[in-house]
Amino acid sequence: MKFILNGTEVEYTGALNARLLDVLRDEYRLTGVKCGCREGECGSCSVIMDGILTNSCLVAMGRAEGSTIVTIEGYSNTERFRALDKAYADVSAVQCGFCIPGMILASECILAKNPHPTEAEIRVGISGNLCRCTGYNAIVHAIDIAAKEGSGLW
Amino acid sequence: MDKISESITRIDHTPKITGAAMYVADYPTVGVLFGKLLYSSKPRARLLDVIVPELPEGYLVVDRNDVPGENSVHIVLDDTPVFACETVEYIGEPILMVVGPDEKEVLRIVNAIKIVYEELPAILSMRESDVVFFNYEFGKGELDKSFSEADKIYEEEFRTGRQEHAYLETQGMIAEPHDGRMTVHGSIQCPYYIQRAVAKALGYDAGSVQIRQDVTGGAFGGKEAFPSILACQTAVAAHKAGRPVRVVFDREEDMEYTSKRHPSLCTYRVAVKDGMVTAMDIDVIYDAGAYTTLTPVVLQRGIICSTGVYNIVNLHVHGRAVKTNTVPSGAFRGFGGPQTFFAIEMMMQHIAKDMGIDSITFKQKHLAVLGDQTSTGGRYHFPVPIPVMIEEVDKVCDFRRKYKEYSKPQTGRYLRGIGMSLYFHGAGFTGSGERDFIKAVARIHKTADGTVHILTANTDMGQGLKTTFTKIIAKELDLPYNRIIIENPDTDFVPDSGPTVASRSLMIVGELLRRAAARLSVEWKDGEDQIIEEHFQEPDFLVPFSLEDFHGDAYPTYAWAVAAVETEVDTVTGLSNVLGTYGSFDVGTPIDMNIVVGQMEGGLMQGIGYAFMEQISADAKGRIRNNKLSDYIIPTSMDVPNLEVIIHVEKYPLGPYGAKGAGELAVVGVPAAYVEAMEMALGTKIDHIPFTAEDTMKVLQEVVNK
Amino acid sequence: MVNSYLAGSLKEALEIRARETVRPYGGGTDLMIEGAEDAVYLFIGKIPELKQIIVDDTYIRIGAECTFTEIIDNDLIPEMLKNACSGIGGPAIRNLGTVGGNIANGSPKADSALIFFVTDSMLRLVSTRGERLLPVREFYLGKKKTALQSDELIAEVLLPRADYKNYYYKKIGARNAQAISRVSFAGLMTFSDGRIASCATAFGSVSDVIIRRDDIDAIMTGKTIAEASAAKSAYIAAYDEAIIPISGRISAEYRKAVCMNLLVDFLESNGI
Repeated sequence: MKFILNGTEVEYTGALNARLLDVLRDEYRLTGVKCGCREGECGSCSVIMDGILTNSCLVAMGRAEGSTIVTIEGYSNTERFRALDKAYADVSAVQCGFCIPGMILASECILAKNPHPTEAEIRVGISGNLCRCTGYNAIVHAIDIAAKEGSGLW
Repeated sequence: MDKISESITRIDHTPKITGAAMYVADYPTVGVLFGKLLYSSKPRARLLDVIVPELPEGYLVVDRNDVPGENSVHIVLDDTPVFACETVEYIGEPILMVVGPDEKEVLRIVNAIKIVYEELPAILSMRESDVVFFNYEFGKGELDKSFSEADKIYEEEFRTGRQEHAYLETQGMIAEPHDGRMTVHGSIQCPYYIQRAVAKALGYDAGSVQIRQDVTGGAFGGKEAFPSILACQTAVAAHKAGRPVRVVFDREEDMEYTSKRHPSLCTYRVAVKDGMVTAMDIDVIYDAGAYTTLTPVVLQRGIICSTGVYNIVNLHVHGRAVKTNTVPSGAFRGFGGPQTFFAIEMMMQHIAKDMGIDSITFKQKHLAVLGDQTSTGGRYHFPVPIPVMIEEVDKVCDFRRKYKEYSKPQTGRYLRGIGMSLYFHGAGFTGSGERDFIKAVARIHKTADGTVHILTANTDMGQGLKTTFTKIIAKELDLPYNRIIIENPDTDFVPDSGPTVASRSLMIVGELLRRAAARLSVEWKDGEDQIIEEHFQEPDFLVPFSLEDFHGDAYPTYAWAVAAVETEVDTVTGLSNVLGTYGSFDVGTPIDMNIVVGQMEGGLMQGIGYAFMEQISADAKGRIRNNKLSDYIIPTSMDVPNLEVIIHVEKYPLGPYGAKGAGELAVVGVPAAYVEAMEMALGTKIDHIPFTAEDTMKVLQEVVNK
Repeated sequence: MVNSYLAGSLKEALEIRARETVRPYGGGTDLMIEGAEDAVYLFIGKIPELKQIIVDDTYIRIGAECTFTEIIDNDLIPEMLKNACSGIGGPAIRNLGTVGGNIANGSPKADSALIFFVTDSMLRLVSTRGERLLPVREFYLGKKKTALQSDELIAEVLLPRADYKNYYYKKIGARNAQAISRVSFAGLMTFSDGRIASCATAFGSVSDVIIRRDDIDAIMTGKTIAEASAAKSAYIAAYDEAIIPISGRISAEYRKAVCMNLLVDFLESNGI
């Protein structure tokens, strides 16, 4: 079956019941997509599928047929990423980094739907991404900064 | 704010945020064999037989018979086997590893292997155990006299539960044999600990073992000693296979079988006379699990902290670590401190309540001050800023007013409470470890082109060490950051500057680097290749610590904290809503403000989890039942939205620019603040953590039923 | 190795469903937790006929493959259902998880199913043999067992058009997000001419099946507030007897206490 991966159409000939997470990491070597739990709880494996935030560990390849998938590798070439990158850097939101690709994609999905979110809305938007290092404050702050300073991008 | 405290972009920010950073599971697996451990399913049994099915070509089983060196993992004592021998001592003890080219086939083989056990009686609880791994005792003053003269004697027992690190990146290791050497890399805190362990297991000399840290996705102590075990197993497997072997844990096996925070039972007997505590007789029991691993040091720190921030002149402390047939307990941020800090703070809180005094006023009467003796006859050589920090926290959350208001009888559906906890973290390795065992060496290498390479064994696991070390060198040599290189430590290239534990890296190794840079600054020769090394020197002012006498300065200095937690209990559901978590922290000069604040915020959050959300449930056989992140509840972004940190600075003259150990402090005392708040809301006495929603509902039902 | 099946239309899906032994795969958020290597899926998550939300004279018809996010974002959906869906997992789970999957799972913890129980919703089940309407209550046969035939798919959930403004909903989880329900409760009450026109309650996560006792709720029907208050203790006693929570890692005592508290709070919030 075919799907669009980071802007390029690819043909997938493997098992349709294989996990998208495993296929992205092992077959396409997109190791920015992390595996933290394999049960959709931690959000480290987040990708954007058809414009919405999804846990790639819970997506079987058949479900991705005809879909557009964006991973951190694809997203990090965008201007929106640069705004988030700067904001996260300014508040030192990246500690161990394992949750961060997922958090960045979650940030994008929050702002894409709601360019001026309140703090409460930001917290809901990343509520499916677990972080054990930061206590979340810096990440929430970074998204808020990106929303304000990246005005017009979303 | 000092100039050095001004925050910069973290040195390792970009590879992590773009997804380019290579954690151990990200390395290509071409030509690498997958390894999967088979674990004991019995808490204690004799291994009678291991029945292995016929193995397809390229697949092998690795067990204790394949250990070329010694079948023991060097940690402190060496009782942990690489692979189980005649008996298994806990559910989860590794018996063997299956290795092969296809991961799914390896798993199929593991599941097809039959172990024949002869079950033996198992001890699953601390109270039942009579195997004492470690026993320490110390005291001072006139205990008996104080108790005989007391107006009132209080006695209470406190319990704390297991806590799982739940780092987002699970344990992982890759071992590669080549040219008579073994290279092992993975998610680790202490490369040299692993080098020693692997060398011993393989029967190699240390120089034939190369250990490299990969980018590490969180550790919190869970990757201090445990990786030595996994590294030995993986290296032995690679040695047998003659090919690289990779082991990456899935979340379930990581949660069930890796080290956790020691559960504790602390009994306090306290003499009070004329409204003051005059003596304490403290009994501490820690549950070591099945093997000793780091327990002696955890217990030492725990009992040293057992009098908290107070000056207790007449004292007796007895600490034991007992064996149970459960997963060996290990290092976890705070390292034995959180258990006894919970107990001492709750004890003081309960005494105050009984005396009808607010706990802050009562606690303040007993605070240690500069010059006082520590619990072990050392000294507080530097100011104790707790009183000022109490005011800081009071100001930020209106503590005293709320304390008064919520202390009044409450009715209605929602009940509120607020609590405060005072604590410290002894900065650096306990006792004379730094001087006698670690003997840290740090090195900087300036190449001819003027680039400076930082060479230490200390690892960045998210706490920002690469950045803070870089800032120190940059400041001392007035260099731009891009002229300074710091890689993940590789034992082939860095000296042993000691483990990344005990909140020592910045304070001890950072200072060695600063001195080295200061020297280089003077000795700098353009166009020349220069190497400067600095060796640890124990500070002169220390009262040397003797483990035998359990006496002296356990730590050169302390990082101090005051935490407050405000909660609201919904009497209909038993759920508590954390309205605010606040802390003032003195870790000396922040080498980077954002980094230090981030550490404090993260630590506070872990403390909240430890207080009421995180509970390890085991069945009657000791098997851990909640082995998933959906089931072991750590806070999400929506659980503590109001989290505020104040940084209070008391410079430590022997730390780089005045910095002290920071990594562990925040988590240490949070639970007592939460529990005091819950006691106030519920009008009850609480003696254990985690104090869960079920515990809350039980209390509420008792009130209803009365 | 048998591969899985992609279906472009409902007709195609039903033909495969009748012919092969497959697991219908909507959002995958339940199925993929196990993610069995030998699972044969029938991917129905994108089939347009299963993703509509329409209102007719009698029902709000919710396509079984509508995701929780789609339901939350749709103006035709009553607040009560949006509320329940908002508490499921986290954003990524809500983006993929479907009501059909939530129901077909047969779990008493299903958050949306609780609302369908309390509103006495219907399910439209389809197969190559035709279709049938089944009250959602009759779909649940016991612990994780449903009335879904091996050739059937859930096409729609039919939520009766009614006044759901005065609703009570509470989910008790272990934390504020990503929480599996430990106890959940939904209550509805409408009034007409000073009397209770209808009273409906449902308790989730406490038993093998969601508890819906319209026979007990009938105690309240037709009563004035004063009469209802007089009948309150009988009503509560009846539920006290009816609710026997299963014990899991969360104790039965806790679940029972919370259930009864929520029930009382529901009554009191209506002045009873």
